[in-house]
Amino acid sequence: MKFTQAMMAIAAATAMQVATSEPAQATGKMKCEAGPQSTWVSREKLEAKLKKDGWKVKKSKVDGGCYEVYATTPEGDRVEAYFHPVTMEKLLVSRRGKVLFRKQD
Amino acid sequence: MIVRIWNNIHVFWVILALPAAFMAAALVRDPAAAFDLIHSSGEVSVRLLVLALGISPLRQLLGPRRWILWLVRRRRAIGVAAFGYAVLHLTFYLLDMVFWDQIVADAMVFSIWTGYLALAIFALMALTSNDGVMRLLRANWKRLQRLVYAAAVLTAVHWIFVDGEVRGAIIHFVPLIILEIARMIHIFTKRHGQLRKPVP
Repeated sequence: MKFTQAMMAIAAATAMQVATSEPAQATGKMKCEAGPQSTWVSREKLEAKLKKDGWKVKKSKVDGGCYEVYATTPEGDRVEAYFHPVTMEKLLVSRRGKVLFRKQD
Repeated sequence: MIVRIWNNIHVFWVILALPAAFMAAALVRDPAAAFDLIHSSGEVSVRLLVLALGISPLRQLLGPRRWILWLVRRRRAIGVAAFGYAVLHLTFYLLDMVFWDQIVADAMVFSIWTGYLALAIFALMALTSNDGVMRLLRANWKRLQRLVYAAAVLTAVHWIFVDGEVRGAIIHFVPLIILEIARMIHIFTKRHGQLRKPVP
Protein backbone atom coordinates (compact mmCIF):
# COMPACT_ATOMS: atom_id res chain seq x y z
CA MET A 1 0.00 0.00 0.00
CA LYS A 2 1.65 3.20 -1.24
CA PHE A 3 -0.10 5.48 1.23
CA THR A 4 0.99 3.44 4.24
CA GLN A 5 4.59 3.46 3.02
CA ALA A 6 4.51 7.22 2.51
CA MET A 7 3.16 7.73 6.05
CA MET A 8 5.82 5.40 7.42
CA ALA A 9 8.53 7.32 5.60
CA ILE A 10 7.28 10.60 7.08
CA ALA A 11 7.09 9.09 10.57
CA ALA A 12 10.60 7.65 10.21
CA ALA A 13 11.97 10.95 8.93
CA THR A 14 10.50 12.94 11.82
CA ALA A 15 11.71 10.33 14.31
CA MET A 16 15.21 10.68 12.85
CA GLN A 17 14.93 14.43 13.07
CA VAL A 18 13.96 14.21 16.74
CA ALA A 19 16.79 11.81 17.50
CA THR A 20 19.41 14.06 15.93
CA SER A 21 17.95 17.49 16.71
CA GLU A 22 20.00 20.07 18.55
CA PRO A 23 18.50 21.59 21.68
CA ALA A 24 16.40 24.57 20.70
CA GLN A 25 18.39 27.79 20.56
CA ALA A 26 15.51 30.25 20.87
CA THR A 27 12.09 29.42 22.21
CA GLY A 28 10.28 32.35 20.62
CA LYS A 29 8.56 33.29 23.87
CA MET A 30 10.29 36.66 23.96
CA LYS A 31 12.44 38.54 21.49
CA CYS A 32 14.82 41.40 22.20
CA GLU A 33 16.42 43.60 19.56
CA ALA A 34 19.22 44.83 21.75
CA GLY A 35 22.07 45.34 19.30
CA PRO A 36 25.54 43.79 19.52
CA GLN A 37 26.41 41.74 22.60
CA SER A 38 29.34 44.07 23.33
CA THR A 39 26.82 46.69 24.47
CA TRP A 40 25.01 44.31 26.85
CA VAL A 41 25.38 44.30 30.60
CA SER A 42 26.87 41.03 31.85
CA ARG A 43 24.70 38.23 33.19
CA GLU A 44 26.64 38.50 36.44
CA LYS A 45 25.56 42.11 36.79
CA LEU A 46 21.91 41.24 36.13
CA GLU A 47 22.06 38.36 38.60
CA ALA A 48 23.66 40.61 41.23
CA LYS A 49 20.92 43.20 40.76
CA LEU A 50 18.19 40.56 41.04
CA LYS A 51 19.82 39.16 44.17
CA LYS A 52 19.84 42.62 45.70
CA ASP A 53 16.11 42.89 44.89
CA GLY A 54 15.42 39.67 46.79
CA TRP A 55 15.43 37.13 43.94
CA LYS A 56 17.17 33.75 44.18
CA VAL A 57 18.68 32.97 40.78
CA LYS A 58 19.07 29.34 39.75
CA LYS A 59 20.30 29.75 36.22
CA SER A 60 20.53 32.35 33.48
CA LYS A 61 21.14 32.22 29.75
CA VAL A 62 20.51 34.05 26.49
CA ASP A 63 17.20 33.26 24.76
CA GLY A 64 15.77 35.13 21.80
CA GLY A 65 18.28 37.93 22.28
CA CYS A 66 17.08 38.47 25.88
CA TYR A 67 18.44 37.25 29.17
CA GLU A 68 16.35 34.37 30.46
CA VAL A 69 16.56 33.70 34.18
CA TYR A 70 15.26 30.76 36.20
CA ALA A 71 14.71 32.01 39.71
CA THR A 72 12.58 32.38 42.82
CA THR A 73 10.93 35.79 43.14
CA PRO A 74 10.91 37.73 46.42
CA GLU A 75 7.29 36.51 46.75
CA GLY A 76 8.52 32.89 46.67
CA ASP A 77 7.30 31.93 43.17
CA ARG A 78 9.45 29.64 41.05
CA VAL A 79 9.59 31.47 37.75
CA GLU A 80 11.18 31.81 34.37
CA ALA A 81 11.81 35.51 33.64
CA TYR A 82 13.05 37.52 30.66
CA PHE A 83 15.08 40.70 30.95
CA HIS A 84 16.33 43.19 28.38
CA PRO A 85 20.09 42.66 28.12
CA VAL A 86 20.93 46.38 27.92
CA THR A 87 18.37 48.12 30.14
CA MET A 88 17.86 45.10 32.47
CA GLU A 89 14.15 45.87 32.24
CA LYS A 90 11.80 43.05 33.29
CA LEU A 91 9.88 41.87 30.21
CA LEU A 92 8.12 38.62 31.07
CA VAL A 93 7.67 36.50 34.16
CA SER A 94 5.96 33.13 33.98
CA ARG A 95 5.43 30.41 36.53
CA ARG A 96 5.26 26.92 35.00
CA GLY A 97 3.99 28.42 31.76
CA LYS A 98 1.44 30.70 33.45
CA VAL A 99 2.25 34.33 32.71
CA LEU A 100 2.47 36.41 35.92
CA PHE A 101 3.85 39.58 34.35
CA ARG A 102 4.24 40.90 30.84
CA LYS A 103 5.63 44.31 30.01
CA GLN A 104 3.03 46.48 28.29
CA ASP A 105 4.30 48.47 25.34
CA MET B 1 27.23 -13.94 19.92
CA ILE B 2 26.51 -10.21 19.59
CA VAL B 3 23.04 -11.05 18.28
CA ARG B 4 22.39 -13.22 21.32
CA ILE B 5 23.47 -10.50 23.73
CA TRP B 6 21.37 -7.97 21.81
CA ASN B 7 18.32 -10.24 22.00
CA ASN B 8 18.68 -10.91 25.72
CA ILE B 9 15.86 -9.17 27.60
CA HIS B 10 18.12 -8.42 30.58
CA VAL B 11 20.56 -6.65 28.31
CA PHE B 12 17.64 -4.66 26.99
CA TRP B 13 16.79 -3.60 30.56
CA VAL B 14 20.36 -2.46 31.07
CA ILE B 15 20.13 -0.35 27.90
CA LEU B 16 16.87 1.17 29.15
CA ALA B 17 18.51 1.99 32.49
CA LEU B 18 21.62 3.63 31.00
CA PRO B 19 20.26 7.21 30.79
CA ALA B 20 19.15 6.92 34.43
CA ALA B 21 22.68 5.89 35.40
CA PHE B 22 24.13 8.96 33.70
CA MET B 23 21.53 11.17 35.38
CA ALA B 24 22.31 9.71 38.80
CA ALA B 25 26.03 10.26 38.19
CA ALA B 26 25.40 13.88 37.20
CA LEU B 27 23.37 14.42 40.37
CA VAL B 28 26.07 12.91 42.58
CA ARG B 29 28.69 15.14 40.96
CA ASP B 30 26.56 18.27 41.42
CA PRO B 31 23.29 18.30 43.43
CA ALA B 32 22.30 21.52 41.63
CA ALA B 33 22.06 19.46 38.43
CA ALA B 34 18.58 18.32 39.52
CA PHE B 35 17.21 21.41 37.80
CA ASP B 36 18.67 20.45 34.40
CA LEU B 37 17.73 16.80 34.85
CA ILE B 38 14.03 17.65 35.13
CA HIS B 39 13.85 18.29 31.42
CA SER B 40 16.07 15.45 30.24
CA SER B 41 14.33 12.80 32.36
CA GLY B 42 10.92 13.98 31.12
CA GLU B 43 12.16 13.86 27.56
CA VAL B 44 13.50 10.30 27.88
CA SER B 45 10.17 9.26 29.40
CA VAL B 46 8.24 10.74 26.46
CA ARG B 47 10.55 9.11 23.89
CA LEU B 48 9.98 5.70 25.48
CA LEU B 49 6.24 6.35 25.70
CA VAL B 50 6.06 7.26 22.01
CA LEU B 51 8.10 4.16 21.13
CA ALA B 52 5.89 1.87 23.23
CA LEU B 53 2.70 3.34 21.75
CA GLY B 54 4.04 3.26 18.21
CA ILE B 55 4.60 -0.51 18.19
CA SER B 56 1.02 -1.61 17.74
CA PRO B 57 0.18 0.77 14.85
CA LEU B 58 3.47 -0.31 13.22
CA ARG B 59 2.43 -3.94 13.46
CA GLN B 60 -1.00 -3.22 12.01
CA LEU B 61 0.43 -1.18 9.15
CA LEU B 62 3.37 -3.39 8.22
CA GLY B 63 2.25 -6.81 9.36
CA PRO B 64 4.24 -9.22 11.55
CA ARG B 65 7.82 -8.35 10.61
CA ARG B 66 10.68 -9.72 12.66
CA TRP B 67 11.89 -6.40 14.04
CA ILE B 68 8.37 -5.39 14.99
CA LEU B 69 7.82 -8.66 16.85
CA TRP B 70 11.18 -8.06 18.53
CA LEU B 71 9.80 -4.74 19.75
CA VAL B 72 6.43 -6.27 20.69
CA ARG B 73 8.22 -8.64 23.07
CA ARG B 74 9.87 -5.61 24.70
CA ARG B 75 6.87 -3.32 24.76
CA ARG B 76 6.12 -3.95 28.43
CA ALA B 77 9.73 -3.22 29.38
CA ILE B 78 9.67 -0.01 27.34
CA GLY B 79 6.37 1.07 28.89
CA VAL B 80 7.51 0.38 32.44
CA ALA B 81 10.77 2.23 31.71
CA ALA B 82 8.75 5.22 30.46
CA PHE B 83 7.00 5.22 33.84
CA GLY B 84 10.35 4.88 35.61
CA TYR B 85 11.71 7.98 33.90
CA ALA B 86 8.48 9.84 34.70
CA VAL B 87 9.09 9.01 38.39
CA LEU B 88 12.68 10.24 38.04
CA HIS B 89 11.32 13.39 36.39
CA LEU B 90 9.12 14.01 39.44
CA THR B 91 12.00 13.19 41.79
CA PHE B 92 14.34 15.73 40.16
CA TYR B 93 11.54 18.29 40.22
CA LEU B 94 10.94 17.75 43.95
CA LEU B 95 14.69 17.85 44.68
CA ASP B 96 14.91 21.13 42.80
CA MET B 97 11.82 22.66 44.44
CA VAL B 98 12.81 21.75 48.03
CA PHE B 99 9.97 23.61 49.77
CA TRP B 100 6.61 21.92 50.26
CA ASP B 101 4.56 25.11 50.20
CA GLN B 102 6.01 25.95 46.76
CA ILE B 103 5.40 22.39 45.54
CA VAL B 104 1.76 22.58 46.64
CA ALA B 105 1.30 26.04 45.10
CA ASP B 106 2.84 24.76 41.85
CA ALA B 107 0.49 21.78 41.79
CA MET B 108 -2.46 24.17 41.42
CA VAL B 109 -1.07 25.45 38.10
CA PHE B 110 -2.66 23.78 35.05
CA SER B 111 0.64 22.79 33.45
CA ILE B 112 1.74 20.98 36.61
CA TRP B 113 -1.42 19.13 37.65
CA THR B 114 -1.80 17.70 34.15
CA GLY B 115 1.64 16.16 34.70
CA TYR B 116 0.64 14.69 38.07
CA LEU B 117 -2.53 13.25 36.56
CA ALA B 118 -0.61 11.67 33.68
CA LEU B 119 1.84 10.18 36.17
CA ALA B 120 -1.01 8.76 38.28
CA ILE B 121 -2.39 6.98 35.20
CA PHE B 122 1.07 5.66 34.29
CA ALA B 123 1.47 4.39 37.85
CA LEU B 124 -1.81 2.50 37.55
CA MET B 125 -0.66 0.94 34.27
CA ALA B 126 2.75 0.02 35.65
CA LEU B 127 1.20 -1.58 38.75
CA THR B 128 -1.12 -3.68 36.59
CA SER B 129 1.53 -4.57 34.02
CA ASN B 130 2.44 -8.01 35.39
CA ASP B 131 1.06 -11.33 34.12
CA GLY B 132 -0.87 -12.06 37.31
CA VAL B 133 -2.95 -8.89 37.19
CA MET B 134 -3.34 -9.31 33.43
CA ARG B 135 -4.99 -12.72 33.92
CA LEU B 136 -7.05 -11.45 36.83
CA LEU B 137 -8.53 -8.53 34.92
CA ARG B 138 -8.98 -10.39 31.61
CA ALA B 139 -10.85 -8.20 29.09
CA ASN B 140 -10.87 -5.29 31.53
CA TRP B 141 -7.09 -5.22 31.41
CA LYS B 142 -7.11 -4.06 27.81
CA ARG B 143 -9.75 -1.46 28.64
CA LEU B 144 -7.57 -0.24 31.51
CA GLN B 145 -4.49 -0.09 29.30
CA ARG B 146 -6.35 2.16 26.85
CA LEU B 147 -6.11 4.87 29.52
CA VAL B 148 -2.56 5.26 28.24
CA TYR B 149 -3.90 7.40 25.40
CA ALA B 150 -5.44 9.83 27.89
CA ALA B 151 -2.14 9.86 29.76
CA ALA B 152 -0.24 10.53 26.53
CA VAL B 153 -2.48 13.51 25.74
CA LEU B 154 -2.07 14.82 29.31
CA THR B 155 1.69 14.42 28.97
CA ALA B 156 1.72 16.45 25.75
CA VAL B 157 -0.45 19.14 27.37
CA HIS B 158 1.83 19.19 30.44
CA TRP B 159 4.91 19.70 28.25
CA ILE B 160 3.34 22.36 26.02
CA PHE B 161 2.04 24.42 28.94
CA VAL B 162 5.18 24.19 31.08
CA ASP B 163 7.20 25.36 28.08
CA GLY B 164 4.65 27.98 27.10
CA GLU B 165 5.10 26.87 23.48
CA VAL B 166 4.42 23.80 21.35
CA ARG B 167 7.70 23.13 19.55
CA GLY B 168 9.48 20.63 21.79
CA ALA B 169 6.37 18.61 22.53
CA ILE B 170 5.13 18.56 18.94
CA ILE B 171 8.47 17.36 17.57
CA HIS B 172 8.28 14.40 19.95
CA PHE B 173 4.64 13.48 19.45
CA VAL B 174 4.42 13.96 15.66
CA PRO B 175 5.70 10.44 14.75
CA LEU B 176 3.03 8.93 16.99
CA ILE B 177 0.28 11.20 15.67
CA ILE B 178 1.18 10.25 12.08
CA LEU B 179 1.23 6.54 12.96
CA GLU B 180 -2.16 6.76 14.66
CA ILE B 181 -3.71 8.63 11.72
CA ALA B 182 -2.21 6.11 9.29
CA ARG B 183 -3.58 3.27 11.41
CA MET B 184 -7.07 4.77 11.39
CA ILE B 185 -7.00 5.27 7.62
CA HIS B 186 -5.62 1.75 7.21
CA ILE B 187 -8.41 0.23 9.30
CA PHE B 188 -11.03 2.30 7.49
CA THR B 189 -9.87 1.46 3.96
CA LYS B 190 -9.48 -2.23 4.82
CA ARG B 191 -13.05 -2.40 6.07
CA HIS B 192 -14.24 -0.50 3.05
CA GLY B 193 -12.42 -2.91 0.75
CA GLN B 194 -13.97 -5.93 2.44
CA LEU B 195 -17.44 -4.48 2.00
CA ARG B 196 -16.89 -4.04 -1.70
CA LYS B 197 -15.54 -7.55 -2.19
CA PRO B 198 -18.00 -9.59 -4.25
CA VAL B 199 -19.63 -12.45 -2.40
CA PRO B 200 -18.57 -15.74 -4.01
